[in-house]
Amino acid sequence: MIRIGDLLHEVAEVKRLSGIALAVVLLVGVVFAVVRGRSDEAGSPDLETVRGVIGSEKLAFFADRRVKDAFARHGLRVEVDPAGSRQIATSVDLDRYDFAFPSSAPAAEQLQRARGAARTYAPFSSPMVVATFDPIVELLTAQGVVRQGPGRYRVFDVARYLELTAVGTRWDQLPANTDYPARKNLLVTTTDPRDSNSAAMYLAITSFVANGGVVSSPDAEAKVLPVVGKLFLEQGYTQSSTDGPFEDYLSAGMGKTPLVLAYEAQFVDRVVRGDSTIRPGMTLLYPAPTVLSKHTLVPLKPAGDKVGELLTGDPELGELAATFGFRTADPRYFRQVVEEHAVAVPDTVVDVVEPPSYETLERMLEAIAKQY
Amino acid sequence: MIRRVLVGVLAAALLAGCSSDPATPARPVGDPRPGVLRVLAGSELADLRPVLDEAAKATGVTVELSFTGTLDGAESVANGQAEAGFDALWFSSNRYLELLPDAAKRLGTPTRVMSSPVVLGLPTSKVEELGWSGRRVGWAEIAEAAGRKAFTYGMTDPSTSNSGFSALVGVASALAGSGSALDAAAIASVAPRLKDFFAAQTLSAGSSGWLSEAYQRRARGEDPGPEVDGLVNYESVLLSLNASGLLPEPLTLVYPNDGVVTADYPLTLLTSAGSDARGVHERLSEYLRSPDVQRRISEVTGRRPANPQVALGDRFAVRDLVELPFPGTGAAVDGLVTAYFDQLRRPSRTLYVLDTSGSMEGDRIDGLRQAVIGLTGADTSLSGRFSRFHGREQVTLLPFSSSPREPLRFSVTGDAELGQIRSAAEGLEATGGTAIYSSLRRGYDVLRAQAADDPDRFTSIVLMTDGENTSGDAFPAFAAFHSGLDPAMKGVPVFPVLFGESANDEMRQVAAMSGGKVFDARGRTLAEAFKEIRGYQ
Repeated sequence: MIRIGDLLHEVAEVKRLSGIALAVVLLVGVVFAVVRGRSDEAGSPDLETVRGVIGSEKLAFFADRRVKDAFARHGLRVEVDPAGSRQIATSVDLDRYDFAFPSSAPAAEQLQRARGAARTYAPFSSPMVVATFDPIVELLTAQGVVRQGPGRYRVFDVARYLELTAVGTRWDQLPANTDYPARKNLLVTTTDPRDSNSAAMYLAITSFVANGGVVSSPDAEAKVLPVVGKLFLEQGYTQSSTDGPFEDYLSAGMGKTPLVLAYEAQFVDRVVRGDSTIRPGMTLLYPAPTVLSKHTLVPLKPAGDKVGELLTGDPELGELAATFGFRTADPRYFRQVVEEHAVAVPDTVVDVVEPPSYETLERMLEAIAKQY
Repeated sequence: MIRRVLVGVLAAALLAGCSSDPATPARPVGDPRPGVLRVLAGSELADLRPVLDEAAKATGVTVELSFTGTLDGAESVANGQAEAGFDALWFSSNRYLELLPDAAKRLGTPTRVMSSPVVLGLPTSKVEELGWSGRRVGWAEIAEAAGRKAFTYGMTDPSTSNSGFSALVGVASALAGSGSALDAAAIASVAPRLKDFFAAQTLSAGSSGWLSEAYQRRARGEDPGPEVDGLVNYESVLLSLNASGLLPEPLTLVYPNDGVVTADYPLTLLTSAGSDARGVHERLSEYLRSPDVQRRISEVTGRRPANPQVALGDRFAVRDLVELPFPGTGAAVDGLVTAYFDQLRRPSRTLYVLDTSGSMEGDRIDGLRQAVIGLTGADTSLSGRFSRFHGREQVTLLPFSSSPREPLRFSVTGDAELGQIRSAAEGLEATGGTAIYSSLRRGYDVLRAQAADDPDRFTSIVLMTDGENTSGDAFPAFAAFHSGLDPAMKGVPVFPVLFGESANDEMRQVAAMSGGKVFDARGRTLAEAFKEIRGYQ
């Protein structure tokens, strides 16, 4: 029990002994500690809080009650902030976090090197897709951009698409287009190439096509940049996380985002939720070729390793990841979810290419960033 | 010893924490508290209060909103000040914030709550007269009609209000017509057609709310200014105006078929937020996005639901809107706003009637000098850069004491004139009595002479005085003079600044009779008030 009198006496003593400055510093520090302490009481006191910075497309997974419970059973409370994968590698203050969970292997490898992490964890992956609407599919089929692929699924022919973008084709210039005569360029909506992994994956796809193979030399970089740079620059403002444009696709619809680059998992997740956000007429195209986004966790502090190990090894979390549409390291989980919810996605995606090396990708992204 | 000291300080801190958290300039809504989300917000969010009160009952989460302008808000996020006092942000859009790297990196989870496109509202009869009823028109046709003054409209200042900003971006992107995002070259190429569009803008305002009120007053003939046909504003504001029943004729909403710019109101956590605020944000987001609450939000605010599970209500006549591309860089946005002020919009004629009587001596006259100097480019904040005197602007300083002094006239073309205004402001000295109304009358003579040569300008008067009228005409004489003015002069809005011991009632009457607005500088600096007035000039 502390009486006010003692208290004032103590404070006075501090001032006398060490000066006002110290008192202020102490007070600020203690208030901070008190505020933090108080906040922690909001949850269960026994859990260890682990903080991560993640690609936004995994936000729903980490926010899910079942996922939180699964972590809690292992003594963890995982708190996450979303950020673009390149932001994670460049501008984010990583000291605030126990782990980083970008959405591609190259970004993770770079982080691992930069932070000297002993290992990484790759619990799941997802191919890049283009989400669109039936009237757009019809328009683009007539243009030869959409065609039947090798499996039962339809593909988005990137080479033909690049022919249209090369001449700055606008939607209202497509013949017999009454469904979407918008006075804007025919472009896939992506995220910001300066921040986000999905945009980097899109660059991997389009640069492969423009070059006729993986870009691996400065000459090839110089050759493809004018072709692929405009795919981003002409969109103008782009959001920094893949969640944004996909939400637009779902809520604002065709008017805002007739074609949106997404992770397959984002679409599957919505179908599995059965929340009627995927309406009739919404459809998936697989770019030919496409790339796989390998979600890779990089531990920054020992607590981060625990999350990585659980995501890779815990069957419950594996099954949950599949319900969020991720293709799990153990393919059974994903297959089961697809069958159960009758999701129209191929069991295997063919025509998958590898992204360029981190350095090449980074140099191309830098070159595009300079043009903004 | 150290331990005892720490215990004492700790107890003091605990006691402080248990009492009501005192608000400070850095923390206008207090310290972090369990169950409270402290939100830095755009003023448009005020209409969500009933929903937030219901949210508090349903979820136990209290939302404390503190309002600020888009640019000031963006600046405080970028320089880290926002983190010190807030857990989250809630503006009409995060687009501008994301163009500032220092702001973008502090943005955490966004929850989009609702949306509203910026469109044109015109009286139904006007839409028929223009031949636009029953068909969709594009921005080019709208700009062409505006260029020949087939209609007039009011719009907010793009540097202080998001609806004006969105309209500017929308019309510029659409007219550029390349289909891709704007850059400096594209802006230059469409400048003539943009000038056409802005030629019909006859009313400007620093806030959406005041614009809408002034528009209603003019439509009902309660304001002396010229009638304004329509408004460029959020769909939600226009729908609410129609629903209010206060307009003599309902507005028809014109949705340009080549696209619009839409506000999407993301409730965005700051990455600095503590664990409790994170939990609270998640709980609140879930509540706000639930289908029933989404329908309620749409009903209360006239905005569109963000949750794709919720169907659009019937009053949203046009459902699938094309979204125009938004510029990809801060430089392009700044370039567009600068071009708007310096080249595109109708230029301003701005008269400052300034009290330099003896009572202004000391801090007050110095504050006045700084207020004027701030508008010459000395204020380098984000918002300050756009509130400086603009290219083509006619600025007149009319200092007065016992009688009006010689008016100091400037035509701004560049830094040279800004320097002259700065020197003139530095030369203001406080001495003598206070002849408010004789000096204000003199101001009208100055404006009449200027208008004779060049009538087509946004014209307004700022009246700053710190006391009662002590010499020259009394207020009744001025009121009689004002009622006898010709319509053009009568409609010049006067913006009185309440300061010191100014006669507030008379100042309010001057604002009312001229269709102006009173600005209060008693709790802040004159510089802040002068800067706010820029949005209305």
